[in-house]
Amino acid sequence: MKNKIKIAFLGTIMVLGFGCSDLKEQILDESLSGGKLQSDIIKGSVAPAYALLPDFFLHTRYFALQEISTDEAILPYRGGTDWGDNGIYIDLHRHLYTPSHVRLKDAWNNLVTLISRTVTAINVLTPIAKSDAEAKIYLGEMKALRAYYNMVLLDMYGLSFVKEDPNEVSKIIRGNDAVEYIRTELESVQNEVSTTSGPGRITQGAVWGLLARLHLNAAVWREPYATNFNFKPEDMDKVILYTDKIINSGMYKLSPEFFEIFDDENHTNKELIFAVDQRPDLNGHNRLAYFSLSGDMFPLPNFPNANGTDGPAITSDFYRTWVQAYGATDPAKDARFFKENLVIPVDSFIAGDKFEINRGIQRGQQFGLITTRYGQPFERGANGTYKIGKLRNITRADKNKLVIHTEQIDFTTEGSGYSTGYRVEKYEFSKLSDSGRNKGQADIIILRYADIYMMRAEAKLRKGDANGALTDVNAVRASRTARTSQTPPALAQMTLDILFRERGFEFYWECQRRTDMIRFGKYEGTWTEKTDSDIKKRLFPIPQSAIDGASANVGYLVQNDGY
Amino acid sequence: MKKSRLEAPSQWKERILILRKLGIAWAISGLISINALANINPPSSEGNAATVQQQKQITGKVVDNTNQPIPGASILVKGTTIGLVTDADGNFKLNLPANAETLQVSFVGMKSQEIALAGKSSLNIVMEVDAIGLEEVVAVGYGNLQKKDITGAVSSVKSENFNKGVISSPEQLLQGKISGVNITSSSGAPGAGQRIIIRGQGSLRQGTGPLFVIDGFPVGLAGTGSESSPLNFINPEDIETMDVLKDASATAIYGARGANGVILITTKRGTTGISKVTVTSNVGVSQMARRIPVFSADEFRKKVVEVGGRLEDKGGNTDWQDVLTRTAITNDHNLVLKGGSQKTNYYASLGFLDQQGIIIETGLKRYSGRVNITQKLLDDRLKIDFNLNTTVESGENCNASTMVSQMIGLNPTYPAYDSNGEPTVFNDILNPLIDAKLYRSFSESRRLIANISPSFEIVKGLIYKLNFGYQNTSGDFDYQAMPSTIPFERGRLEQSFSNGRNTIIENYLTYTRAFGDHNLSVLAGHSYQETFGRWRGWSIDLFSPTGVEPHYNPGLGSELDLVDNKPGGWASINELQSFFGRANYSFKGKILLTATVRADGSSKFGDNRKYGVFPSFAAGWRISDEPFMKSSPFTNLKLRAGWGQTGNQEIPNKITQALFTTSVGASSSYPLDATSTYPAGTTYVRLANPDIQWEVSTQSNVGVDFALLKGKLSGTIDYFHKVSNNILLEVVPADPIQPATTYWTNVEDMTITNDGVEIALDYQHKNKDGFSYGFGGNITFIDNVVENSPFTILTTGGASGAGLTSATVNGYVNGYPIGAFYMKEFAGIGENGLTKYVDWNNDTKDSDADRHVVGSALPDKMFNFNANMSYKRFDLVLNFNGVSGNKIYDNTATANFYKARLAKSLNTTAAAVEYPEESNINPASVSTRYLKDGAFFRLNNATLAYNLNTKNFGIVKWIEELRLSVTGQNLFIITKYDGFDPEVNQDSSDRGIQSFGIDKNSYPKARTFVFGLNLTF
Repeated sequence: MKNKIKIAFLGTIMVLGFGCSDLKEQILDESLSGGKLQSDIIKGSVAPAYALLPDFFLHTRYFALQEISTDEAILPYRGGTDWGDNGIYIDLHRHLYTPSHVRLKDAWNNLVTLISRTVTAINVLTPIAKSDAEAKIYLGEMKALRAYYNMVLLDMYGLSFVKEDPNEVSKIIRGNDAVEYIRTELESVQNEVSTTSGPGRITQGAVWGLLARLHLNAAVWREPYATNFNFKPEDMDKVILYTDKIINSGMYKLSPEFFEIFDDENHTNKELIFAVDQRPDLNGHNRLAYFSLSGDMFPLPNFPNANGTDGPAITSDFYRTWVQAYGATDPAKDARFFKENLVIPVDSFIAGDKFEINRGIQRGQQFGLITTRYGQPFERGANGTYKIGKLRNITRADKNKLVIHTEQIDFTTEGSGYSTGYRVEKYEFSKLSDSGRNKGQADIIILRYADIYMMRAEAKLRKGDANGALTDVNAVRASRTARTSQTPPALAQMTLDILFRERGFEFYWECQRRTDMIRFGKYEGTWTEKTDSDIKKRLFPIPQSAIDGASANVGYLVQNDGY
Repeated sequence: MKKSRLEAPSQWKERILILRKLGIAWAISGLISINALANINPPSSEGNAATVQQQKQITGKVVDNTNQPIPGASILVKGTTIGLVTDADGNFKLNLPANAETLQVSFVGMKSQEIALAGKSSLNIVMEVDAIGLEEVVAVGYGNLQKKDITGAVSSVKSENFNKGVISSPEQLLQGKISGVNITSSSGAPGAGQRIIIRGQGSLRQGTGPLFVIDGFPVGLAGTGSESSPLNFINPEDIETMDVLKDASATAIYGARGANGVILITTKRGTTGISKVTVTSNVGVSQMARRIPVFSADEFRKKVVEVGGRLEDKGGNTDWQDVLTRTAITNDHNLVLKGGSQKTNYYASLGFLDQQGIIIETGLKRYSGRVNITQKLLDDRLKIDFNLNTTVESGENCNASTMVSQMIGLNPTYPAYDSNGEPTVFNDILNPLIDAKLYRSFSESRRLIANISPSFEIVKGLIYKLNFGYQNTSGDFDYQAMPSTIPFERGRLEQSFSNGRNTIIENYLTYTRAFGDHNLSVLAGHSYQETFGRWRGWSIDLFSPTGVEPHYNPGLGSELDLVDNKPGGWASINELQSFFGRANYSFKGKILLTATVRADGSSKFGDNRKYGVFPSFAAGWRISDEPFMKSSPFTNLKLRAGWGQTGNQEIPNKITQALFTTSVGASSSYPLDATSTYPAGTTYVRLANPDIQWEVSTQSNVGVDFALLKGKLSGTIDYFHKVSNNILLEVVPADPIQPATTYWTNVEDMTITNDGVEIALDYQHKNKDGFSYGFGGNITFIDNVVENSPFTILTTGGASGAGLTSATVNGYVNGYPIGAFYMKEFAGIGENGLTKYVDWNNDTKDSDADRHVVGSALPDKMFNFNANMSYKRFDLVLNFNGVSGNKIYDNTATANFYKARLAKSLNTTAAAVEYPEESNINPASVSTRYLKDGAFFRLNNATLAYNLNTKNFGIVKWIEELRLSVTGQNLFIITKYDGFDPEVNQDSSDRGIQSFGIDKNSYPKARTFVFGLNLTF
């Protein structure tokens, strides 16, 4: 018996011993450490700091926030079924955004993550940069990129974050402190960064351009709720200083064909200074080309699943600015307004590789490839040609209704139809986009050469040099020579209103409108479906999720006024 | 689509027949060998002596206290394997060995007896009803206790009281049987997941449910509300009892996994001396129980025109709810072998379930086998329990959610079939009948669970027990889009594979001893459990329409790229190591004290918080045993009080550790030069938090158990107060500049409190004329509130439907319950024809800020009622259940039933035209317009059965028992809810925060009639 007890206890102890564990968590599907060569470490830290840019520049994020909140874009609840999204785009347009607005949160999350990634990269690169030339360039680039992200945050949410050590709590700065911080950071690296690695990366030209943009908007960013912004002459001089530097560098060229700036192959276009480098096999989305296009338009003969989505259109107010400028002449006379690519052959049949949709602002009856239902093969002719015809609402209930884009678009029943509103196809619909949503190729513009002239013009004008301003604006207009009959004619005079209007003609749907409207004092104005005139809306609210997250730290992250 | 040969029902019937024949043959051979065993006397010296002496014979009859014979009572000569069961008249005749002294008599629901033979040759044995179940043994985790000695809140349901009918997940067996337990199916689909909430929701997170322990093996599959039930692998037929541990004093023995309650499942085992083969065969016929009253084709034609819509009239007259549903047949057949000799008991079963769904092209099949063996050795000091269960479940399904949205939303003037009887091919839409063939999923999951638990009595009263268990699951899932020319479909195949294993090893010692009036039982042990899981998936596109199904040959696909077909996968391994102990003390059986403690260490916890300690204390006082209660009407009166802490460790893996990955991908890489070689970016995906630990739930419980009228009326009343804190959440960091936008942490001060009262009553009456009846019921009142949340609001429950992207339905805020609905209040239709909302914050603007709490998805009252009657050979059981105080968000209506859709020639209910002034483009936004009362009262199931007198039919030699039954499930329901069914809970969780009470095109519930045959040989 005693032996049995002994054996039993021994067995127990053995089994217990077998079972004991230190409970260290084993990770099977993730690597918690990098562990690579130094050159990989450099690029491995830099690439992520840019990587979320395509995401940030999504149609539903930065684009929606900067454009749908203005007179350039409106997105009604199409037909009561599409793009309602719980009212978020209607609220945005009406300036009824609240801290719970989901797109404001998404954009904020992108920006703060990107800033954090630049901080990580700076900390990785700083020791290496002492002995490694490549790392030194990247270090400057990361500081410039951090300044750019902080500048966007300052513009949208009225604050910037200072963070050097990843283990310390960021310092939150606003107003002049933020402007000065961003200025110092950009200035400190202007000679550190490469001059030639653009436009996908920050170059010296980009740093100068961002400095010009900073000084041009400094008055707004210092006192966002001011009744009259104080555009200081010394700021304007800085704008002129940096734009001159860029122009004198001879690195850039205005594109004779306006729409080539937005083509699939725009990466090599000399007009681009800083842009989001999109690659179809890595990070490219086609959302900016897809967003406004009719859901019944199929731009690619090879892909019957690639269509538009009947998203936003321009407001009639914005369209009227063109009409006002061109009077009796159709604004399509302006190379920037329209480029006709689709000339319908007499027999209505066209070879697949000849089919190309029109660019710019699309009005009236739309023509294109014919199908009976989304995803079905297109109607074909002899020799593999494709039939071109009037587009109808084949993806909608009323399948015979023609796709006619009308000037009127608003939140009424008639104004909210699937086809209402003039549409914008500024970026090329990526030739590789089989779903219409993915595989974008065009670089998304952050800063281009025309803006350098336009910023210099504005600085000159704000300093009282209307003639100098006129010369710069006309230089841009005259540069679009690819379609000579559509080259915009020279303007005869220059005022702030004309300059504002001109910025709309040049940069429409390029995520600048909200910033421009505020700077020109137009954001509190009235346009289609928008009457709110609360100046507190110049800044977006800080997302509730961020406020909640910081709630334990009283006084740290304070909600913007009016929310 | 071509049907594979295997699926043809006739083929299955043949196979079942073969299986049954095989089974019977097996049963017969088994019987012979077991009977042979049983008749051999034990090879002990006494036994040998017995054979030499002349045997005596004894006859007798077993009756109950109303003198009704008890057939099937078990008679066993004590200390031998000699025994039999009484016949249909309760009689028995038994040859006794000469040294036989005592007979043991037992029958389910009766108090077991030992009767001294004392030379008698005939016996009349009167058995007493064990109505209050005091002798009943209840599993309490690492041991059993007699019900009278229990101090915690434990409810137990035996197999004979389970819900009957077509049961594809074992949770359904319990629905409405236990107070404080809310069981809601996620939908009416076969095998659909069931969400079980025991004593209120105490966690915000998705996938929190009770712990299931099967024959001592925690299956580690907490998580309900999912698409399929985590318990699907158990054949309900194999379950003997389900014990639900509700309060902390009961669950604390499961420590970090006890916070959501524990359900102990005990499977059936053989009985010494009785060999039985049972065949149960059920055939169920199901139909959609309730329809949604959408317009008929004629009404539709009128209404579309009336609202000024554009009528698309294709001349048909289709009731799509008829076309897309069917009368579904379920076959459920089981063969059970049971028996035992003195040293060995066995139970073996084979089950087959083929359940058709009431939606076309849906259903599941399950094959299951189980062997449970108990072996005794070394003078019965060593006892080994062995359990083996294996299950294969497979399904071939169309997309049921599409079918649901089509059956209620499709234009009824579209003819379903063309003149050739084939599904009509429409130009503009895809006929759902074709959709159901083109888009299908194929799944098969295989599960094996085995455990062996030897126990050894080292010295008297000291038992050492080892429990070793192993579980392995594997499954594959294929989704296929069948390539087709008309209608056009490119073809796609998505495949995924999962498998997992779960290993447990436990050692524990139990010491039980009586010291005069003092009884003490002490338990101490160690447990180590490791679970491993992984999943992998990939896809391929573009197949030629050759008729070959992509899932048979993925190689026929011709398009693979990393944007659309990137393979994915994950793997995780978790460890849980625990030390536990329990002490039970009783004084004269009147004063009962229990203390437990468990220290759980989990690899999921942070480095700074590896171990959590969970204590509990409880006391009971059996007042009815006190001398002063002698003349009271109470046959049982017990007061219980307990307090304890338990944890919830079901937190995601790896969240305590920082993660930075190095990969080339859209969110981590970026072109840094003109080449197309992209640098691998190193990014933080997750922030470290080494302080992460379990959620803690502290629960107090006070209860009374009582029995009156000689045990005819019995009941239980419990009050509980449960506070959960250390709420684990994924939160936004205070400093926004962080590598990841969120991190996991315990929100210490935040609490979720559940307060409740549970009352259960049962009354049983037996008349002398063979008529007996009983009824019982229970009711639960529960109150839930969130407090000290640092979050203004935690939204979840994403709505779905056109224009509803990013809209949420649930929102949890301080002062309101978990499961609260948070939305704008509908205030009618404005002059512009658009929806008006209540301006809740009085700012004259319509904005998000007008959202507020408008009700809760979780009921504050749950009630169940059951009744049983039996007369001679007939018996009838009825089970009713219901809830009230809850609401349902009818997302099906938001997405389908509004005027704009009707105007576009899509079908709706009359609700869409309720407001004549409503504009045709008024969007259906999330608001109280679609929030509905979720209260219901249902006749859940009713069974009428007849036990054939096999003796009178002269077949008793062959068939001992023959029972015929008919069960109706979901026979009627009283509710104001106008969706398919008010019992609905589709998971719509957002960022891991659990959603409640959302009906989104949910699979309709069936009304089922089951015809059953139960044969015992």
